Amino acid sequence: MQLQLQYFLLLAAALFCIGIYGLITSRNAVRVLMSIELMLNAVNLNLMGFSNYLDPVQVKGQVFTVFVVTVAAAEAAVGLAIVLAIYRNRNTVDMEEFNLLKW
Amino acid sequence: MAQILLQTVWFIPCYPLIGGVLSMLWFPAVTRRTGPRPSGYVNAILTLFAFLHGVIALTAIWNQPAQHQLIPWLNVAGLDLTIPVEISAVTVGATVLVTGLNLLAQIYAFGYMEMDWGWARFFSLMGLFEAGMCGLVLCNSLFFSYMILEVLTLGTYLLVGLWFNQSLVVTGARDAFLTKRVGDLFLLMGVVAILPLAGTWNFDELAVWAQTAKLDPTVATLLTLALIAGPMGKCAQFPLHLWLDEAMEGPLPATILRNTVVVETGAWILIKLQPVIALSPMGMTITIIVGAATAVGASLIAIAQIDIKRTLSYIVSAYMGLVFIAVGTGQAQTALTLIFAYSLAMGLLVMSIGSVVWNSITQDVRSLGGLWGKRPISAIAFIVGSAGLVGLPPFGCFWALEDFTSGLSQTHPFLLGIVLFVNGVTAFGLMRVFGLVFGGKPKQMTERAPEVHWPFILPMTVLMGFTLHVPHLLAVWHLLPGASLNYTATGLLVLSTAIGIGAGAFVYLNEKWEKPVRIGSQALQDFFAYDFYTAKLYRVTVIFAVGLVAQIISWFDRNIVDGFANLIGFVTVFGGQSLKYNVNGQTQFYALTILFGVALLGLLISWPLLVRLSLIVGG
Repeated sequence: MQLQLQYFLLLAAALFCIGIYGLITSRNAVRVLMSIELMLNAVNLNLMGFSNYLDPVQVKGQVFTVFVVTVAAAEAAVGLAIVLAIYRNRNTVDMEEFNLLKW
Repeated sequence: MAQILLQTVWFIPCYPLIGGVLSMLWFPAVTRRTGPRPSGYVNAILTLFAFLHGVIALTAIWNQPAQHQLIPWLNVAGLDLTIPVEISAVTVGATVLVTGLNLLAQIYAFGYMEMDWGWARFFSLMGLFEAGMCGLVLCNSLFFSYMILEVLTLGTYLLVGLWFNQSLVVTGARDAFLTKRVGDLFLLMGVVAILPLAGTWNFDELAVWAQTAKLDPTVATLLTLALIAGPMGKCAQFPLHLWLDEAMEGPLPATILRNTVVVETGAWILIKLQPVIALSPMGMTITIIVGAATAVGASLIAIAQIDIKRTLSYIVSAYMGLVFIAVGTGQAQTALTLIFAYSLAMGLLVMSIGSVVWNSITQDVRSLGGLWGKRPISAIAFIVGSAGLVGLPPFGCFWALEDFTSGLSQTHPFLLGIVLFVNGVTAFGLMRVFGLVFGGKPKQMTERAPEVHWPFILPMTVLMGFTLHVPHLLAVWHLLPGASLNYTATGLLVLSTAIGIGAGAFVYLNEKWEKPVRIGSQALQDFFAYDFYTAKLYRVTVIFAVGLVAQIISWFDRNIVDGFANLIGFVTVFGGQSLKYNVNGQTQFYALTILFGVALLGLLISWPLLVRLSLIVGG
């Protein structure tokens, strides 16, 4: 069995879906951040797959991946800082407690 | 001088109108200190001017052909509304009659309204009436006659409602307005419908048109029905007669006018429209039926009334019914003569009973009596009025009725019987009132009853003189039959009068006959005394139907129409109230919403692609 692009894409899509599921259903804020990381990784997998199969010479996708990883790290840092800041005020990281804008 | 006054005869309606406007200066709210009496004097003086103007103009037009003047009013695309004024002996004579009766009624009102502060309003409305009636007889156009009739309807409403703190006055004025208004509105339908058919509203041109017009019988019938309906309401004919009964709640001097001239405004239109009504045999028949039913019914009701004013108001309806019969049988000239003789006699009768009511307070004939010795002038006025009203030679109405009956005896023997019956019953009714009020022994209410002072006596005696001179006037106008007297009809007429007077005198001047008189069953007496229960009849038919429809429409409006509009608002409010729960404060829910949105958009955009894909896969 030869590994084909579709398999990578399907795996990435599955990962993305799992990420979204985690993003929407998690009650813990840190888990939400983790789900975002998962989604970003799914994206990275896509980029790498396309780069490998469709652009094996210039590998532009790999460059993008490097950027995404970088930005993901930065975003995780900021996100964790925000979670920390909220925790200091509210003493909780439960997503369902942060509903000041309720109707 | 006379020629100038004749040429300016159109100014006659303006005198009383000016008087009516000037009267407003003495409204209690305007002149706060000196009382309202000058308003009456101003009005009487202007009425006198109008009367003299009319009399001098009448001498100038006497035996002359009719003249016509045109007063431009409005000329819009295709419709020329010029007011045609007809100056003939008849029209100028009618203004003299109207202004003369007005003058007498106004002098009478000086006495009658002695203890009243409402002179200004009363006299301004009297001025309006006089102006309206003079305008009506002078203008020669159906359209403008209709306009004036409407103004007079409003005038009736205001004048009947003079003492509006009495509840019966308010309901009476309401009924007078609405009943006459209904008739007027039907008349308006006729007025509008006749223009495309005849192309004119001028009475003379209508008469010319009617001679050669070929109308579909249905159209002619409907047209004449609409044209009769106006006078039917105005003349208090069945079934639009209740208003006149209730209008007796108004001030008595106004009643003099109403019973004599105002009800004749309708008859005037009817007489003028006689050629048009003659177009439809059906219309003629209905005119006769209405007139005959009213004449018989109202004269019978009149003898069952206990209110002295109402004993006369139904006779008014009955005599207007006779006018309807005369018009229906094509005797327009007779109708005019009858109106002339009738109005003087009826004016005298109302003045006489008004003077009784003024100082005997009660209007109930059962508590009046024995005034003959104490009130000779009023009693004689009543006798002269009665004699002038019924077919008693040589007094006024006899000649009109004689003319009428001899005309009928050849063509409609059945109607002759009706006229004789009405004449006899009216004679009986007047004799009854006379017997109850002036005959018998004094009752508690009439024990001390002095004769009234000059403002009552002066117009009463002057009018008595006029009433007595009616035969002379008719002779001067060559309206007496002379040698061509129809002895059979005349004999029957005199006989019916004699029977009526005799029976009345036998029952009511006879001390031995027990009062109150019981004839037949109580139910029958009540049936006539309560005016055939017309008020109840109105209530269960027209008023009920209109009220029901009004309630249904009101309900529909409040619930269905308003409800639909409110429903839209309610749905919007409800939508806002319920949809706000989408904003539930959960960031993750917002993320889900975004996801759904993106997914949906993606699906939409890629839908054609997906369809083709599925085709490929399926294929």
